[in-house]
Amino acid sequence: MTARSAKPVQPIWCPGCGDFGVLAAVKRAAANLKIPMHEMVLVGGIGCSGSIHNFLEINGVHSLHGRLLAQAIGVKLANPELTVVAAGGDGDGYAIGMGHFLHAFKKNASILYLVMNNETYGLTKGQPSPTSEIGFEGNIEPPFHAILTALSIPAPNFIARTFSGDPKGMTAILEEALRFNREGRGYAFVEDLSPCVTYNDTYKIWREKVVDVQTLPGYDPTDRRKMFTLCLDQIDQGRLPVGVLHRPAAVEREGLEVKLLGNRPGPGRAAIDLASNRTQYEKLLSALA
Amino acid sequence: MTTSATRTAPMSGEATPEARPRPLELADLSVMIGGQGGDGTLTVSDLLGRYFRSRGLYVYTSRNVLSRIRGGHADASIRASRDPIAAVKAQVDVLVAFDQQAIDLGRSELAPHGLVLYDSTSFRSDLPNSVGFPFATLVGGPLGQPIYKNTAAYGALSVIFGFDATYARAVIEERFRRRGGEALEKNLKALEIGRKTALAATGVANRFSVVDGDAHDLILTTGNQAVALGFVVGGGRFFAGYPITPATEIMEYLQRYLPPLGGVARQAEDELAAINMVIGASYAGARAMTSTSGPGLDLMTEGIGHAGIAEIPVLIADSQRVGPSTGEPTRHEQSDLSHLAHMGHGEFPRFILAPADPVDAYDLTVQALNLMERWRLPVILLLDQALSQNTATSRRFDLSGVVVDRGPRLPAEKVASLDEYKIYGVTEDGVSTWAFPGTPGVWSEVTGNEHDEWGHVSVDPVNRRRMMRKRMEKMVRARDELPVGRLFGPADARVGLVGFGSTSGPILEAQRLLEARGLPTRYYQARTVYPVPAHELDPFLASVDTAYVVEHNYTGQLARLIRETLPWHHAKLRSILKYDGSTFRAPEIVAGIQEAGPP
Repeated sequence: MTARSAKPVQPIWCPGCGDFGVLAAVKRAAANLKIPMHEMVLVGGIGCSGSIHNFLEINGVHSLHGRLLAQAIGVKLANPELTVVAAGGDGDGYAIGMGHFLHAFKKNASILYLVMNNETYGLTKGQPSPTSEIGFEGNIEPPFHAILTALSIPAPNFIARTFSGDPKGMTAILEEALRFNREGRGYAFVEDLSPCVTYNDTYKIWREKVVDVQTLPGYDPTDRRKMFTLCLDQIDQGRLPVGVLHRPAAVEREGLEVKLLGNRPGPGRAAIDLASNRTQYEKLLSALA
Repeated sequence: MTTSATRTAPMSGEATPEARPRPLELADLSVMIGGQGGDGTLTVSDLLGRYFRSRGLYVYTSRNVLSRIRGGHADASIRASRDPIAAVKAQVDVLVAFDQQAIDLGRSELAPHGLVLYDSTSFRSDLPNSVGFPFATLVGGPLGQPIYKNTAAYGALSVIFGFDATYARAVIEERFRRRGGEALEKNLKALEIGRKTALAATGVANRFSVVDGDAHDLILTTGNQAVALGFVVGGGRFFAGYPITPATEIMEYLQRYLPPLGGVARQAEDELAAINMVIGASYAGARAMTSTSGPGLDLMTEGIGHAGIAEIPVLIADSQRVGPSTGEPTRHEQSDLSHLAHMGHGEFPRFILAPADPVDAYDLTVQALNLMERWRLPVILLLDQALSQNTATSRRFDLSGVVVDRGPRLPAEKVASLDEYKIYGVTEDGVSTWAFPGTPGVWSEVTGNEHDEWGHVSVDPVNRRRMMRKRMEKMVRARDELPVGRLFGPADARVGLVGFGSTSGPILEAQRLLEARGLPTRYYQARTVYPVPAHELDPFLASVDTAYVVEHNYTGQLARLIRETLPWHHAKLRSILKYDGSTFRAPEIVAGIQEAGPP
């Protein structure tokens, strides 16, 4: 008999919010990959987008503002068999969570980090965020481009950008990202351009600005240097590059959890009773002098 | 080779050079060795420790180092005793000085009969009873390098204490055997140089004699190592931390111990990440912990509060040092208690356990792991610099008391039989059963928002009251499962002592001193410090006229917690406080009682 579990609740998002596109794409990607919901853990941040796990039949973890990556990596290292997604907003990831944001690339644990970037703090009513354009709500600091930072870190990560106005494209990229994770190849970072219809409605402008990187001359997602220049050029021209930005050529299992545990079950599933470990414990204790 | 001792002051009790004063017999001795970083003071302490332990003595060592990698003055002190000890001795019997600062620092602690052995190559001691040998020059010629001066000093000490020559040599062999070859050979030569020099000098040999003891089959360990081992045998398999003095060694031990057992120990980018990785790993089924000190604890407070409301078990070992801010990273204090008891915005349950010595630290770590899972909340192991880093001879850690009880964690087969799976289900004792994520057929919401039984966000006032009570009452309901405090001394004593952590060492010693002066005392060692064990403290305080709360902080943090919990005993409490970065010496506690006077 299957126990009755928590039922998804109605999204708190405004009608037309870009996050609905993400929710639909996550569902479709998971379904297409036939990932059983009980094997998925979605760690949400704080903010509108961080509540996404409440709307899915999934193991949801509502973490702390900016700390979702640390919790998600902890989950993955404890049980590598779980498919782990961290999802939150641009303030969560690029402001309060910036330290963890940078280190996640280095760590390269096989989790998906999905940032819904709307260039504002929606839940607290429209303050400028790290990605806001100069002039937005009095912002005088230049916007932060997470994809450039991502491309600058020499690690075998999967890096991509999607647009909520293109749900099909997003689904395909999320599928690839989740597959990358499930093969133990490492960290996947996907930034979704997800307009806030209430405080920063950019649908129209972004639709005009997005450019599919695949259509650009010299596109080669295995070449970090080329992709950095290509994206920087587009950004300088006022465009928003989307698509797969980095896909390591090698298919080795480079995930942190693989490096640490190989094919062992992980600390969350290890037998920790005394009887199973007595010999090793006795060896450890008797070595003391 | 002949060298004469450089004498800067006449030795007491010496009439003629021929007279051989009787050695002063010591059953409890202390040697302090000071010099510049790189002088090898720790090696001298280590060699002496090996010798004393081979003679059946209890050993306790401490270090006084600056927060820098090389250079600067550093000293080590070693105490050896026929009786069990867990404190620094108040007076130094022999001061070994490789620099002037050692003389300056050792001056106030030197016993009246104390001897100073110093390296006369570069400075002179102005203290009475000083013996100078130019150790650096003595070894520099024959061995090519002055670095063996520390072993030569050990050689001289072995003569001063009348060590058995064979044992003194065996200690060098044991210590340097693994490095072998040149290192062993040169250290053995340095030993002989030191011995010959001291034997040739007048009135140096056999100044003291050491009484053999019967302490055997003990290990020399620290609180940090004990916590790491307790964590491993208690089923701990996930650790994340950030380097910080004086807690770092816990991380380093676990990076060695855990991987062969299928565990993971990671150094995170900061303490925020460390505690959150631990939260994630614990949620996913691992027994997980982090370790830190005050500055890191401040950062972790956010995560600990989250674990409190999300009901995720986490273990945090906090090794206290001088604060606030960076304070004095290498020095001792017990000033995090108030923060830990009240930490975080909002209110959530937590248990704070305070071990007194390495064996206690090992035992309480095992218990803490069971308690955190049994009650689904954060548990703090309250350590302090002296417990964490000083070495003490301890009885061996064993597995006899080790039990792994995973409390409300449900195996898959039990989950399958549930009608509904509420991860925050309200139960009689406030603890909800939960499944390991990945268990077929169930999923859940875990959150730091206030939530209903399913984990859905809720601001319903009725639900809020219910959930607050469910969580907060754990601190009351768990009472009889929490570690019990220890009582020392006669039950009819009218003077009480209260303390926690490594302060137990000097308190127990002070009890012996007071007893010898005709003042029996009863000491209550708190092992659960929060929730304050009122059911233990109330009868204890009722049984005495005065209770001295001995702790290392300015405001009397434990005393304040006790007053808050048991206000009717307010008038009986007196504080004995020390907050200068060094640990209590037993006579300071005795003096504190005499100064405070009767209530």
